[in-house]
Amino acid sequence: MSGEVFRKVDVDFPLYQVDLLSSDDETLQKISDELGLALNVDEMKRIKEYFRSNGRNPYDIELQALGQAWSEHCCYKSSKYYLKQFIFNLETDYVISAIKEDAGVVEFDEDYAYVVAFESHNHPSAIEPYGGAATGIGGILRDVVCMGAQPVALIDPLFFGKPDFEHARLPRGTKHPVYLLSGVVAGIRDYGNRVGIPTVAGMVFFDESYLTNCLVNVGCIGIARKDSIVPSRAGGEGDVFILAGGLTGRDGIHGVTFASAELKETSEEESRGAVQLGNPITKEPLIHACLEIVEKRLITGMKDLGGGGLSCAVGEMALAAGFGARVYLEKVPLKELNMAPWEIWVSESQERMLVTVKPELVDDVLYVFDKWDVTATVIGEVKKDKTLEVYYNGFKVYDMDIEFVTGGPEYCRPYTAKKPQPPSLQEVKPPRDYEEIFRKILAHPNVSSKEWIIRQYDHQVRASTVLRPLQGRINLETHGDAAVIKPTESLRGLAITADVNPWMTKIDPYWGTASSFDEMVRNLVAVNSLPHSFVDCLNFGNPEKPERMWEFVESVKAMGWMAGEMGIPCVSGNVSFYNETPHASVAPTPTLLGIGILEDIRNAITSYFKKKGNSIILVGETQPEFGGSVYSAVTSQPASMVPRTDPQKLKKYSKAMLDSFREFNVLSCHDLSEGGLAVAVTEMCIGGGRGAEIDLRGIEGDTFVKLFSESNTRWLVEVEERDAQDYIAYLISRECSAFEIGVVAGKEVSFNDIDFQLELKLQETERLWRNGLSRFTG
Amino acid sequence: MEVRIAVLRIEGTNCEDETVKALRNVGAFAEAVHLKQLYSDMIKEKERRSLRDYNGIVIPGGFSAGDYVRAGAIFSARMRSVLRRDIEEFIREGYPILGICNGFQVLVELGALPGMDEDKPLSEKPEMVLAINNSNRFECRLSYLKHENRGNCIFTGALKKDIVVYPVAHAEGKVTFPSGLESLHINRLVENDQIVFRYVDERGNYAGYPWNPNGSIYNIAGICNITGNVFGLMPHPERAFYAWHHFDYPSEGKESEYGDGKVVFESMVNYIKKL
Repeated sequence: MSGEVFRKVDVDFPLYQVDLLSSDDETLQKISDELGLALNVDEMKRIKEYFRSNGRNPYDIELQALGQAWSEHCCYKSSKYYLKQFIFNLETDYVISAIKEDAGVVEFDEDYAYVVAFESHNHPSAIEPYGGAATGIGGILRDVVCMGAQPVALIDPLFFGKPDFEHARLPRGTKHPVYLLSGVVAGIRDYGNRVGIPTVAGMVFFDESYLTNCLVNVGCIGIARKDSIVPSRAGGEGDVFILAGGLTGRDGIHGVTFASAELKETSEEESRGAVQLGNPITKEPLIHACLEIVEKRLITGMKDLGGGGLSCAVGEMALAAGFGARVYLEKVPLKELNMAPWEIWVSESQERMLVTVKPELVDDVLYVFDKWDVTATVIGEVKKDKTLEVYYNGFKVYDMDIEFVTGGPEYCRPYTAKKPQPPSLQEVKPPRDYEEIFRKILAHPNVSSKEWIIRQYDHQVRASTVLRPLQGRINLETHGDAAVIKPTESLRGLAITADVNPWMTKIDPYWGTASSFDEMVRNLVAVNSLPHSFVDCLNFGNPEKPERMWEFVESVKAMGWMAGEMGIPCVSGNVSFYNETPHASVAPTPTLLGIGILEDIRNAITSYFKKKGNSIILVGETQPEFGGSVYSAVTSQPASMVPRTDPQKLKKYSKAMLDSFREFNVLSCHDLSEGGLAVAVTEMCIGGGRGAEIDLRGIEGDTFVKLFSESNTRWLVEVEERDAQDYIAYLISRECSAFEIGVVAGKEVSFNDIDFQLELKLQETERLWRNGLSRFTG
Repeated sequence: MEVRIAVLRIEGTNCEDETVKALRNVGAFAEAVHLKQLYSDMIKEKERRSLRDYNGIVIPGGFSAGDYVRAGAIFSARMRSVLRRDIEEFIREGYPILGICNGFQVLVELGALPGMDEDKPLSEKPEMVLAINNSNRFECRLSYLKHENRGNCIFTGALKKDIVVYPVAHAEGKVTFPSGLESLHINRLVENDQIVFRYVDERGNYAGYPWNPNGSIYNIAGICNITGNVFGLMPHPERAFYAWHHFDYPSEGKESEYGDGKVVFESMVNYIKKL
């Protein structure tokens, strides 16, 4: 085919004209495959029509640009329809900018705004965990910096196959979960620590569905003066484009098209070139330089080069301002010689930023970059009409309407519901041996201490961390519910948590997502913060398969319902489809990153018991809800009843809890999630080095339900004994359930019920919990 | 004397903002100064600086130049090539230099620490090494530090407590001396009153991992030079500056505004004032 369809243009650099106009459908598909465009025949036909009306055939660089712009990753063609319907309509008065830019911008106080972005870096991390995860951090930092904000926190939810998976059974081309975990953590560590932004929150979840397709989600929060927010668009006609940062090379070519297809056995050999190479020591000064030109008000717009490279950034910056652009590609500083124009245009090489500047300020901007030893070059200018022209050594290699390029397709993909299993309340039975099950739960890698990971990240650099991810006795800490940072000089704080429960979403994407949302809110409330906004990273399988699409739609519906009724706006996000291989599709994973506001960080509440003799109060109602629970997993009892929730109830409880923190001296608070009450009590004991005597006789129901059910909207609270009755009465007056279930005690953790006692030495619970993950990682 | 402190940085130093803030809080004029501002021709007039503009230097934490070779090696090599004489004079004249974490590593690579020879503020080659942690990885945790200086170190003179809590966050922090000469070095450091902080457990006893987070010999966390005006430590006092930095572990004195780390910056500033 090549000879007839691809015609070398008579210039002294690699450039081909592609004969679309006389190609039939079959040839069109072949062209798409051969150029790695990942476009289907209908999309190719649309392109053909466009060029027919222009009376010429396209150059390779033009088709490559369309392949990037119309990829799932860049134009959200499968998700947009549903996101608009369910999520994007929730804005509140304190949201400054949502969805439209690279990151969401939300009011923090009178002078400052916080900026938040959240993305997946799944496919690259599955192929090359260290580099994939590191560049994920690099990319999310740029999304925040390009808004003119100083990054202040990183967040990293990670999802892998089971850590005890037998090596011999690994499918070909798949890397072992522990190898992936170690590589990903090292990549985040070496990048995040070097650029000096604290990694304060995250989660790690192990499930067999991630075996062939691990998920690496990365979030970043920044802080900016409201009057210094930089738009991702050019200022006006005549503005100059300056490309700053790393050199452009062949690494990261076709990253977005690679991310918009299923992984397969041979992905490693075929797509390693799609994984970019990060360099934190190029990024660190780039951040300083970008923030300096923002502070000195030298620029009109800024956008990071991420998916699609220059091909996406230039057009979007120009069009967003209502203009066009002219670019001279030979001016782009390169890592290697002889790159074809299309390679330069779509390369996703890291650590690059595009800024627009008024011509008279170009020298000032170049000086700042030079001072920081950051390469910066003028590569083009903004022009009046909305077309984009690209030249290479004086030859026009690209000329298209920007609106055509950025107006990618939008699909309302069909979906079919999975046959619902009738929920049955009688399905789950008590364990034969409570102690054995309790031990297994504490040592389960999804429950146990994540210290091995957390300590490898600097969570205190910038000296603004108030609540660390590990809280309690030094070197013997427990997990916190949410991290709290103090981003400005004032005492106002941001609480940060990342949550999703893939076991629940796997069984029921609707209630699983609602439960994840409930957990996010619980964690924010537990540290005494008012839930303020959230962002989502929606990781799903192949959207062209109707049953996957159904999972997505259910999940988005539930999220929209919870967020809408709670009045918590979704301010940014990312959709990652095609997390699927011939072996499996990932469990639906709508990761939520929740942000809360504390009026005064000195009122933050930690998660561990403070004093022997204090009363322990359970807030909320416990139902036999075991669908997706750890109990169901360790007892090997399938359960379909995913915990229910109700946004109005959650709202009522959250408000009552936050008010109670003002009315009473609450010494600690922890939400109930994986492993239920038994795990929550134990974690609170571990952090304080104090046991607990729990008496469940005041609560109705079966003992195993009280201990291990994962019902939503529940917290444990520690108050002084003399306050206990008043505290309970207060919550009841607010129409919330609350029970005194025991006291902080000495060296044992004991649970008592009618004819029932389960007692373990605190030291023993701690040993199990501390080694649950590290026994695999060493 | 008016207190003017430079917090030096190059690419990859990343604790300069909080360090500058800590110094300003205790009344110093402090600014982050890129090493290039001290020597490069490309720097514009109003951004040019000289070491003579300052009477105190802090080298902050971070990963200078990425620390892809031995931590601090590149930063110190650049300093040595352009500022060696200036720094020697600076130390000899009694001006204080503080190195935190990566800054400690830089001072060791520079030969300013352990600094046991009064006549030679910078040794020809490094006399000790901050080697890779025994755990072989970066670790972030809080550490109990016992103050053991008898008055030589000008940065901890005002310290009232025996034990303080500062965070550590590093991959290369294990104090190591030439093999076979360890006790010789330690004896001299003790004799010269150069030991400042040692890692201890929650009861104040010398203890192994994780209390000694990196495996440092003699549990050394921080040392000063023989004249007491150059101080390097792996833990981060700027991350324990305010009381709220101590928030999430059981501690007393949460009512006060400041935390354990303030004394280091305060002592430095008070010392300069008296010069």
